[in-house]
Amino acid sequence: MAKSNNKIVLMKGEKEFHYIALVIMVLMMIFCLVPLILMLAVSFSSENSLLHGYRFIPDEWSLDAYAFMWAKRATISRAYGLTILVTVVGTALSLVITSMFAYPLSRKDFKPRNVVAFILFFTMLFNGGMTATYIVWTRLFHIKDTLWAYLLPGALMNGMNVLLVRNYFNANIPYSIIEAARMDGAKDWTIYSKIMVPLSKPIMTTIGLFSALGYWNNWSAGLYYIGNPKLYTIQVYLKKLMDSIQFLKTTDLTDEAVLLAQRTLPTESARMAIAIIALIPILAVYPFIQKELIKGMVDGGVKG
Amino acid sequence: MSENNKTHDAEFDNVLKEQLKQQKKEKIKNDLPLYLMMLPGMLYLIANNYLPMFGILLAFKRINYSIGIFKSPWVAFDNFEYLFKTKDAFIMIRNTLAYNAVWILMDLVIAVFIALCMNEIAQRKIAKVIQPIICFPSMVSAVILSFLVYAFLSQSYGYLNATIFKDNPVQWYNTAKYWPFILTIVHIWQGAGQSSVIYMASIGGIDKSLYESARIDGATKLEQIRYITLPLLKPMIIMMLLLSVGRIFNSDFGLFYQVPLGNGMLYETTQTIDTFVYRALMISNNVGQSSAASVFQAVIGFFLVLISNLMVRKINPENSLF
Repeated sequence: MAKSNNKIVLMKGEKEFHYIALVIMVLMMIFCLVPLILMLAVSFSSENSLLHGYRFIPDEWSLDAYAFMWAKRATISRAYGLTILVTVVGTALSLVITSMFAYPLSRKDFKPRNVVAFILFFTMLFNGGMTATYIVWTRLFHIKDTLWAYLLPGALMNGMNVLLVRNYFNANIPYSIIEAARMDGAKDWTIYSKIMVPLSKPIMTTIGLFSALGYWNNWSAGLYYIGNPKLYTIQVYLKKLMDSIQFLKTTDLTDEAVLLAQRTLPTESARMAIAIIALIPILAVYPFIQKELIKGMVDGGVKG
Repeated sequence: MSENNKTHDAEFDNVLKEQLKQQKKEKIKNDLPLYLMMLPGMLYLIANNYLPMFGILLAFKRINYSIGIFKSPWVAFDNFEYLFKTKDAFIMIRNTLAYNAVWILMDLVIAVFIALCMNEIAQRKIAKVIQPIICFPSMVSAVILSFLVYAFLSQSYGYLNATIFKDNPVQWYNTAKYWPFILTIVHIWQGAGQSSVIYMASIGGIDKSLYESARIDGATKLEQIRYITLPLLKPMIIMMLLLSVGRIFNSDFGLFYQVPLGNGMLYETTQTIDTFVYRALMISNNVGQSSAASVFQAVIGFFLVLISNLMVRKINPENSLF
C-alpha cells in the first residue's frame, strides 16, 4: 500500500517534469522557426506595407517580390545554375578523392600507410593560416575569378572525412572479403570500385550531404576570390546585394547616381525573396536527409 | 667439404636476396594502384595544406608585389611588432578569447539542457518534428543568416524598430555595445540544436535498467539526472570541452564578419582574429599584418589542439585525433 502511494507521488512529479520539458522544447522550436517565418512574411508583403516596418503577418499581401525576381531572372538563374554546377561537381569530386584516399589507408598490408596517415593528421593539427592559403591559391595557382575558386580552397577533401571513411571501411568491410576477391584475381581498382564504395553507402551519403551543403552555402570563396559578377553563385550574389544596400545607406541620398542605383536594386521584399530562393533547395530536401545529417553531426562532432 | 658448403651457402644467400629484391619490386608494383589512388588527394593536401605552411615565411617578409614575393626583403619579426603595437591586436585577441570562453560554457549548458529535455519527450511523436527543426539553423549560410538578422535589426524597417522600439528606434548596426548580445543570440539560434545532438546520442546509449532501479528506489527525475545521467555524460562533456579549448583562438568568420555586415563602427565588439586577417588582407591591403595575425593564430592553435588532444587521449583514446 505504502509502495503504491509512493509510486503515485512519483508519477505526479514525473508528469510535471515531462510537461515542462515539452513546453521548453516547443518554445525552442518556435525560436528556431521565427526568423524564417519573418523572412517568408516579408517576401510576401507589398512594398508599401513594408514602409511601416517588417511584420510577421503582412498588412498587405503581394507577389511583387517574386515578380521582381522574374524580371531579373537572367541574373538570378545564372547564379542559381552556377551554384548547382559547383555543388554537383564539387560533391562528386570530393567523394571520389576522399574515398580513393581512404582505401589505401584502410589496407593493413599497405606499408606506407602510417606515413600517409601522419601526413593527413598533421593537416588537422596545423595550417598555414588564411593569408598564406590565399596567397598560394591566387599567386601560385591563379584561381582568382575562375570556378576553381569555389571548388578547391579548403573544400575538396579534409582529414576528418577521410578518417570517417577509412574507419567505416575498417569497421564494416571484413578483410576476408578483400582477400577472397584478390584470390579471384580482382585488382585493387576493382576492389575499390566494386566492393568498398558500394558497401559503404551510409558513410558516403553522410559526407556527400555535408560536402554538398558546404558547396551550396559557400559564400566566402566568392568574398576572397571572385570579382566578376558573371561568376557569382547565389550566395555571393546575395552577399554583394547586401553590400550595395549598406553602401547606399551610408551615401548621400541626394546624389542622382545613387538614387538611380537605388531604383534598380531589388526592393526590400525582393531581397528576402531571393534569400528564400537560395534556401529552398535545402528546405526541400531537408526532411528526407535530416536523419543522415544528424547522424553525421554526432559522428563528426565527437572527433575534433 | 666445408669450403664447398660455404660457397653453397653464399649462393643460397644470393638467391634469397635476389628473391627478396624481386618480391619488394613486385610489392611496389602490386601496390602501384594504391599509390595512384592516393595521388589526387596527396596533390590536394600539398596545394591546400602544405604549401600554405611554407607561406608562413611570408609573415617574416615585407611583401612588395611589384618586385615579387621572392625578392621582397626579410624583416624578421617587424610585422609582428607592428601588429602587437596596434590597438587592433588587443581588441581582436580579447574578443576572440572572451566570446569563446563565454560561449564554450554557455553552449555546454544549453546543449546538455536541450538533450535532457529532448530525451524526456523522445517517446512523443512531436519529438520527431522538433529535433530536425532545432537542427535546421545550422544548415543556413552566413549570408542568409545576415538577411535574417537584418530583417529584425534594419534601421528603418526592421521588426524590432517597427514594433518594440517604435518610439525610440535603435541604430543597431551603428552601436557596438549591443553586438555581444546580438551575436550570442544568433550563435545560440544557429548552433544550439546541433551541439545538443551529441549529448542526445550519449543519453540514448545509457542503460535503461539504471533508471528503472532508481525509480523503484523512489528517485525523482531530477535525482535521476543528477546521479545517473550527468555522471555518465561527464566523460563526453569533458572531451567536448577540451576539444573546444583547442579552438579558442578561432572564430566563426561568417558570424563575426557577415552578420554585422562588415560594419567598421562595430569593430570594438565584432573584430576577431579571423575578421582582422580578412580585413587586413583584402580591404586595407596590409599583407604583413594580415599574415602576422594569421600565423600567430595558426601557431598558437597548433599547440592548443595538440595539448587538448593529448588530454583527450588520456581520457578516451578513441576520440583523440592521434
